[in-house]
Amino acid sequence: MLPGAGRPGGSPPPFDPLDSPVRSVTVKPVSLNGARVRLDLTILIPHLGFLAEGALLTAEVCALALVGSVLLGMLVAIARTSSNKWIGRLAFAYVDLFRNVPFIVQLFFFYYGLPEIGIYIDAFTTGVVALSISGGAYASDAIRAGILAIDNGILEAAEVSGLSKRVTFTRIVLPIALRTSVRPLGSVLINMILTSSILSTITLNELTGQAKIVASDTFRPFEVYVVLLVVYAALTYLVSIGISLLHRRLNRDLVEQVS
Amino acid sequence: MIKVENVKKAFGPVTVLDGVNLVVNPGEVVSILGSSGSGKSTLIRCINGLEKLNAGRITVDDFDVSKPKDLAEARKRSGTVFQLFNLYPHMTALQNITLAPVEVLKRPRAEAEAEGRALLASVGLGDRADAYSSQLSGGQRQRVGICRALAMKPRYLLLDEVTSALDPEMTAEVLDILAKLAAGGTTMVFVTHEIEFARQISSRIVFLEKGKLLVDLPTAEFFAETGGLAQPRVAQFLSKMRKD
Repeated sequence: MLPGAGRPGGSPPPFDPLDSPVRSVTVKPVSLNGARVRLDLTILIPHLGFLAEGALLTAEVCALALVGSVLLGMLVAIARTSSNKWIGRLAFAYVDLFRNVPFIVQLFFFYYGLPEIGIYIDAFTTGVVALSISGGAYASDAIRAGILAIDNGILEAAEVSGLSKRVTFTRIVLPIALRTSVRPLGSVLINMILTSSILSTITLNELTGQAKIVASDTFRPFEVYVVLLVVYAALTYLVSIGISLLHRRLNRDLVEQVS
Repeated sequence: MIKVENVKKAFGPVTVLDGVNLVVNPGEVVSILGSSGSGKSTLIRCINGLEKLNAGRITVDDFDVSKPKDLAEARKRSGTVFQLFNLYPHMTALQNITLAPVEVLKRPRAEAEAEGRALLASVGLGDRADAYSSQLSGGQRQRVGICRALAMKPRYLLLDEVTSALDPEMTAEVLDILAKLAAGGTTMVFVTHEIEFARQISSRIVFLEKGKLLVDLPTAEFFAETGGLAQPRVAQFLSKMRKD
């Protein structure tokens, strides 16, 4: 029975921090299904360097794939809003294909499939390219939505003032589109960081790969994966903070109005 | 000279301009009146090349807006001010004004900025150069819109119902500026519902009805019993507009 259940009157008891169940987990071992579980992070100290190497590799792959997927997403978004029918169709085909195939299948195709036809790419490059291609498909969606949301009158103002298509895109379309699409784009990028854990399946020992090794060396998967939870959450939280700052910057006219 | 010759424009089955002829000479202020849907705005949009013609020809200083090669030149000669301002929301007032002079006319940035600030000062917005569109009132936005068009030093100013989205007070702000421009000799094509104002600043008034140009007369004649008012449709339109 839950604590507090069956109390007369039915109203929840006032919150008492000393009575908080969270506190008891950190202080003494808890009993789950009769087994005693103890969280002892000190056993990981000898493996910290090894795990940090993995974290660094994850950060490297993700940073490169982030740039790759945003650039690809922009190009594909331009192609999908292009007036040229064939360019548009090609871009749609790309997005449809890579959104409808599991990432691990794409990855295996690049890493284990392509060598069959004589194309060999190392695991690191494969990881960056696969994440960029898959992330680019989603990123293009976010950017395209931002482009389509732009008031046509603004584009007409740019057109009649004689601005070239290139200048109109870089100085007007893209900055305005990013004002709205930077948040969904952030979700795409965070998802990409999470997906990068799958790269351990193609021998790329990034954070998850290294963690698997440590877990099997120490027989302490609980501690290892608790650390992994925290590190991934921290990594993606950093990206969310970055996205929020960028969002503020891009919408600075509205932010200043509010403050 | 802006020359509109026998222009036809249809959107699907709806004919919006039906054989319109119009000449605007340098120094003239030509107001285009007519009820909603008469084709006034479409005419402006044909002159600056935003709409393709179905038939006829429009030239701005002999540059044919239907020819892609000529269109850029034609557009350099005309500046457009829009009903809904259409300012670039991510840029300050000054950046809105200097973008095209720097990118299209290749003017040095410092010069363009100095001119932009002078333009803003001339419309009473000298202290709002760094404000964004969302931080300006409607009247202020439209004044920035006028500055943005003027910064390209156009020979012709095309004004598409520029006060229709503004309340009377803000309308007065904007009309004051247009009156000054007219007095200074700026050539304007002015699509409007502000009849009294059109009467004050226009050298000629044109009346569009269902895509046809019904009347094209010097201002005094347009409002004379024997001139424009002799047309029953014009008389009806004017009496209705004045009642409102």
